[in-house]
Amino acid sequence: MARFFIILSLATLGLVAILFSSNPSDMRASGTSVTPPPVYDQARMDDLQARYKNASKQLSQFMPRQPYILVDTARNHLYVKRSHEVILDALASTGSGVVLDKPGEGKNQWVFDTPRGEFSVQSKLTHPVWVKPDWAFIEEGLMVPKNHADRVEQGVLGEYALGFGKGYFIHGTLYTRLLGKNVTHGCIRLNDSDLKSVYQLARVGTPIMIF
Amino acid sequence: MPFRFAIMFSLVLVSTGWGAEYDAFPDLNHDDPASLREATRVLEEEVKLAARSQTYLLLDLPAGAVRIKGRGVDLHRISILQWAASAPHQLTGTFRLVARPPVVRRKIDPSATTEQEPIALADMPTDYQLSFTPALRMEIQSVREEGIVQKIISSAADIWQKLKVWGLSRTDPPSPAEATVTLRLSVEQAQSLAWSTVDGMALIVRRWPDQ
Repeated sequence: MARFFIILSLATLGLVAILFSSNPSDMRASGTSVTPPPVYDQARMDDLQARYKNASKQLSQFMPRQPYILVDTARNHLYVKRSHEVILDALASTGSGVVLDKPGEGKNQWVFDTPRGEFSVQSKLTHPVWVKPDWAFIEEGLMVPKNHADRVEQGVLGEYALGFGKGYFIHGTLYTRLLGKNVTHGCIRLNDSDLKSVYQLARVGTPIMIF
Repeated sequence: MPFRFAIMFSLVLVSTGWGAEYDAFPDLNHDDPASLREATRVLEEEVKLAARSQTYLLLDLPAGAVRIKGRGVDLHRISILQWAASAPHQLTGTFRLVARPPVVRRKIDPSATTEQEPIALADMPTDYQLSFTPALRMEIQSVREEGIVQKIISSAADIWQKLKVWGLSRTDPPSPAEATVTLRLSVEQAQSLAWSTVDGMALIVRRWPDQ
């Protein structure tokens, strides 16, 4: 009986060793038949290396030459980077991801996400005022005002705002204790000093990468 | 005067950041033709994606990472603990994510006095599937901190997975079924990937060179 277990163990070990010896570090797999590798002479290698360098160079030409803004919505950080260098690392607040029904529109909803993808600074404002959209009233159970002046609220967005399209802004906040959390309706909030730095570093056209 | 010009010219070169000798894959063995050919293929695909304002995914199997990129720049890296791939010959070209993993979004109730909790990274799924077109299925499995019993069970599951993969690799001709990539990530990295994906997001795959 003991001999049976020894043989069984050795057989199992052997099988595992075969599996691991060809693919030591991971679970690599191949569905293709095995073909001998092509023979490369020096001229073909040179050609391959030149193609690789050329493709690398082409790719690097798309990379931002000037400072760009990077926003990590999962960890609520905003960075200003130049090449690989981090110029500014700021705690931020980004979209809450919650939803609000649009009254009288069936299943239509507002989704309070910060949009992900690549954008650019489209406007730079000082002393911005908030023109409250419909959802700001509806989520508080208030009537949407008919008069435009009733939507205007001053002093809640900080000293500066940088627009990046479709009504989304990087702006300041009165609720600095909520920085680091996903609490906004999609805009990106910063504290006053970080907002000032971003305002000074960014120009209209500065890329904003959000993930 | 020429000396000052040389210094200024050098400073301009340094300030442009990415440098002339940008290397997209620092882990690449430039003397291995198979690695070089695969890296060049991926770069030539990536150049097309980097030309547009979008973020995209590069599943970099030799580097053991899912890289979230935009304009050729690494925005974020998600480490892979283990991976497996079936039908790797189908993993070329650009894939598009059909839909990001579903998230249970909380709804704002205007009549309620308490605020809805925002969505956080911890709300994201840990084990899920991502479907792409052309047909590619990416299975995400999370790995938790384990006790000894769980370690034995997961080791047995690993061996079973390897046996299945080994069996598949002996299949000739290759199966026409959709390509499948299985990634094992830490819980936080699995949630981070789920968070960062967006519908229609592009994916390219850098395969292991022997694939």
